[in-house]
Amino acid sequence: MIEVRELWKSFGENHVLKGITLKIPKGQTYVVLGGSGSGKTVLMKHVIGLLKPDRGSVHVGGIEISSLHGKALTEARQLFGMVFQGAALFDSMTVYENVAFPLTEKRRGERIAPDEVRRRVIEKLRVVDLGEEVLPRWPSELSGGMRKRVALARALVSDPQVVLYDEPTTGLDPITTDYVDGMILNAKRALGITSMVISHDIASAFKVADRLAVLYDGHLAAEGTPAEVRDSKDPYVQRFLSMWFEKQASEDRSA
Amino acid sequence: MDRLKAALEDFGRMLLFAVEMVAWVFRPPFRPELVLAQMAFIGVGSAFIVGVTGTFSGMVFALQMNFAMKQFAAEGYVGGSVAFSLARELSPVFTALMVTGRAGSAIATELGTMRVTEQIDAMESMAVNPIQYLVVPRVIASLLMFPMLTMLFNALGYAGGFVMGVYVARIPIGPYLAHTQEFMKVSDILHGLLKAVVFGLIVSVITTWRGYAATGGARGVGEGTTRGVVSSSIFILLADYAITFVSVGT
Repeated sequence: MIEVRELWKSFGENHVLKGITLKIPKGQTYVVLGGSGSGKTVLMKHVIGLLKPDRGSVHVGGIEISSLHGKALTEARQLFGMVFQGAALFDSMTVYENVAFPLTEKRRGERIAPDEVRRRVIEKLRVVDLGEEVLPRWPSELSGGMRKRVALARALVSDPQVVLYDEPTTGLDPITTDYVDGMILNAKRALGITSMVISHDIASAFKVADRLAVLYDGHLAAEGTPAEVRDSKDPYVQRFLSMWFEKQASEDRSA
Repeated sequence: MDRLKAALEDFGRMLLFAVEMVAWVFRPPFRPELVLAQMAFIGVGSAFIVGVTGTFSGMVFALQMNFAMKQFAAEGYVGGSVAFSLARELSPVFTALMVTGRAGSAIATELGTMRVTEQIDAMESMAVNPIQYLVVPRVIASLLMFPMLTMLFNALGYAGGFVMGVYVARIPIGPYLAHTQEFMKVSDILHGLLKAVVFGLIVSVITTWRGYAATGGARGVGEGTTRGVVSSSIFILLADYAITFVSVGT
């Protein structure tokens, strides 16, 4: 579904991506793990065409996203839904207007009746466990977890083939984190969506991923199923994962 | 030298942004409801402050002119001088500076906040072009509302000057009105309105660009807003000089 081939990207002297190659099969959840500043977000922005590569290409559903411009790129983006790190809800719009936004904007071209828009908004809010009572509320009135859920409902409302999650669990408490993980798994199970998650939350990553990659210094230091990545011999990957595994082991001992 | 290079690069990027904005004006979907909302914000929302500034500017200018003209026993010319100066110079420039402070700063802050909280990226990811959705309505609304606010400034400024001249300084109403008609032509009003349109373009492009290009959190948004207001004000004055020089020469 998503194929990244030999992707290179620099900002001035800062070489962020150095020949990344990866494949995400249809219906799978792929997690890119990495520390702060490792280039995870840059990689994701290439997948959705918000950034252009210096070299290499990105293909989604057979379309070369990295070579598209203007109207063709705008149309190709309808394949995607994206959940941003801070939810990125429009703060001048209510929850209803936020979730309906991709449909009301599409309506200009494809004419979706207002009743149908409302039905689909409510349906997608239900997928993320929110009721109609949140529709008139403003984003500033919602908790962090609720904002993430509304953001996912907005990403799902136009029935995308791919959902991209940018640090979905950053800054959330453990219970909400667990809930967001469940939400990602549920979106995959219920809607058969292909997902790409970028994160530095190892626990979440191992919970939701069908495949994982660890990004370090512009390269994929490890790539494979969660078990394969866990057994990686790469020193950075071992260091990156060891702290979490040690913490988990000590929790298991004390339990 | 590096700072000059950076400033030129920044100016170049703003020009490219303006060219892209112009291209999006003519492409569907058109969003008249967003233009109307911005006309309400930029125009109706600024009417009070522009009206107050216009009224007081006209009043003060009439008193000053009366003080100067009295020395030549030419008080009758006060009305004409006030109308002429308002139409060609004071109204468009003061209106533009006031709207920059009120609406321009708000535009830069709103778009800057949307940029640093990824709302603009989110919009783009939902297949909606943010320049078309956010920038075009603000620019069109400015092009329409700056001249209207300038006319409001003209009207209230002249009214304020009239009250001061005729009722406070006791200038006879006949010569006051006669010299106004004699001094001021429709072309003077059109000259001022042309300036208003140019200033509307300057303020809307600069402040939307400063918001759109903001980086680095709250501090970046604040810096963008300050730079937007300062450079809009400077470009208003430069454009005012250029238009005046071209139209009247030396």
